Amino acid sequence: MSALPDTGSLRDAPRTAPLRRLLGAEVRWVLRRPRTLVILGLLALIPVLIAVGVTVAGRRAGPGRGLIGAVAGNGLVLPIVAVTVSLALLLPLAVAMAAADAIAGETACGTLRGLLLAPVSRLRLVGMKAFGVLVVAAAAVLVLAVVGMLAGLLVVGETGWQLVTLSGTTLGIGQALARIALVVVWAVGQLAAVGAVALAVSAWTEHPLVVLAAVLGGLIVFGVLGAIPTLEWLQPYLLTSGWSAAVDALRDPMPLTGMWDATWRALCYLAVGLSATIARMLRRDA
Amino acid sequence: MTFAVAADPGTAVAARVRGLCKVFGATVAVEDVDLDIPDGAVLGMLGPNGSGKTTLIRLLLGLTRPSAGTAELLNHPMPTGAAVVLPHVGALVEGPGFHPFLSGRENLRRVAATEPLLPTRAIPAAVDAALERVGLGNAADRRFRGYSLGMKQRLGLAGALLLPRRLVILDEPTNGLDPAGTRDVRRIIAELHAGGATVVVSSHLLTEVEATCTHVAVLQSGSLIAEGELRRLLDADATGLVVTTPDTDLAVATLRAAGLDAYRDDADEPGVVVPAGDAPGVIALLVRAGVAVHEARRGRPRLEELFARLTETAT
Repeated sequence: MSALPDTGSLRDAPRTAPLRRLLGAEVRWVLRRPRTLVILGLLALIPVLIAVGVTVAGRRAGPGRGLIGAVAGNGLVLPIVAVTVSLALLLPLAVAMAAADAIAGETACGTLRGLLLAPVSRLRLVGMKAFGVLVVAAAAVLVLAVVGMLAGLLVVGETGWQLVTLSGTTLGIGQALARIALVVVWAVGQLAAVGAVALAVSAWTEHPLVVLAAVLGGLIVFGVLGAIPTLEWLQPYLLTSGWSAAVDALRDPMPLTGMWDATWRALCYLAVGLSATIARMLRRDA
Repeated sequence: MTFAVAADPGTAVAARVRGLCKVFGATVAVEDVDLDIPDGAVLGMLGPNGSGKTTLIRLLLGLTRPSAGTAELLNHPMPTGAAVVLPHVGALVEGPGFHPFLSGRENLRRVAATEPLLPTRAIPAAVDAALERVGLGNAADRRFRGYSLGMKQRLGLAGALLLPRRLVILDEPTNGLDPAGTRDVRRIIAELHAGGATVVVSSHLLTEVEATCTHVAVLQSGSLIAEGELRRLLDADATGLVVTTPDTDLAVATLRAAGLDAYRDDADEPGVVVPAGDAPGVIALLVRAGVAVHEARRGRPRLEELFARLTETAT
């Protein structure tokens, strides 16, 4: 307990911890959380299950087996199929869980107060939390893609290092990997939109469960609205309506309009979600 | 009723509060509080449950905005000055907040990572030192989930003590602590005080406050009903000088001869009470007269009596 700075020198002292250290601490915290690891582990099972299922079924099935059937004998399709299938529910769930813990969970633990008292400025706090959620989203999609590729090559892989598109053409390994990477980046973008909205809900509530309920409820409502023919005019506004666009990566030549539309939509949701999060966090009591 | 002893004018203040109010819906949590916390003081914040102690602390720290009035911490207005001030402030508010799945050490490292004044290289050593200081050295690598209430409280304290602070605010620091833990808190407060830091402790344990604090502020239903230096508050309420002596008759005769009011009081031990008289003069008089003076003390009320009287008369 020596050398206390006098009051005059307060202004000259550092006011914030280095940003890299804050982000590092956040990522460490996110990836050490048991439930993050559990859900990443569960996601890793998805491509394996599809691979096993397709291999077993493939011995007796004929042609025309749909998207999952396209995996049969065509291993590099698996990562894209796994991402598309999981995007419907499991990936948004993983992201919603991360967002729920990020703000509402910290409030419930009493740790948000500690962060604000350090102090971490409220704007930086939003940045830190958004980064943590993005890391979970990226990790989740990457796990699906990497395990998908491994499972595809090891379990299914009759065609070896090439990808047969839905259009019937054959792509080399380089092009196949590029398309997988595109789908990964695109899916992370979609999940970032989900994460931003979930983070906003997380900032407005003290209960992590409310965030999960809001995101799952929202997905279901969007799904229902998207299925009603008279509400077709609503389609362009629903985040979920573009989520099947990842399959476009399996066509040759690849149509990009679907993925572009979905990306623009995601950017709008992202902007709205982040603005609401910031607006709330700047005013929120802790 | 306000019962206050003014602080010496001109002394530096660590915190200054003027006309502070906080209203939650229909509840007035803090009402028109004026308070100066002198630099280097150990202020005990007292009050029954729900009297607004924690809300006042949260207002001071900028965790919530006042409905009216101003709060200044280290000469900067809050909450706008939070970025400048809070790095120099250590706080334990509303119980310790940590993540159950991390060990005590990992929890503390996460806190340390957000501290602006801690250089990255100094973090491991600072964390170890803080853990040692609160007596958690042996339990540092156990998960927070398995900590007892007292250990959680100690870890919260460690978070406030990661680096030298100008101001340390502890909300109910002895909650859930065993007697050894309470002694540790008392020692830590004394160390902080000796190091020149200002300390604010809220507590409902009056003996704790009496043992460690230089100043007190008493809250009742959101209002400040007494504040000032502890010794002066108690003196203002003093009953006089109590002299313990076996020669009570001689003592009373001597004092009366000198024109002082004095009477025997053999309630605990044989002695005399001098309701009004300066201590050195009275003692010199008695000693010169050959009275064996065993002990002389202010007949001060205990803080407990003062507190009870204040909080009862105010209702």
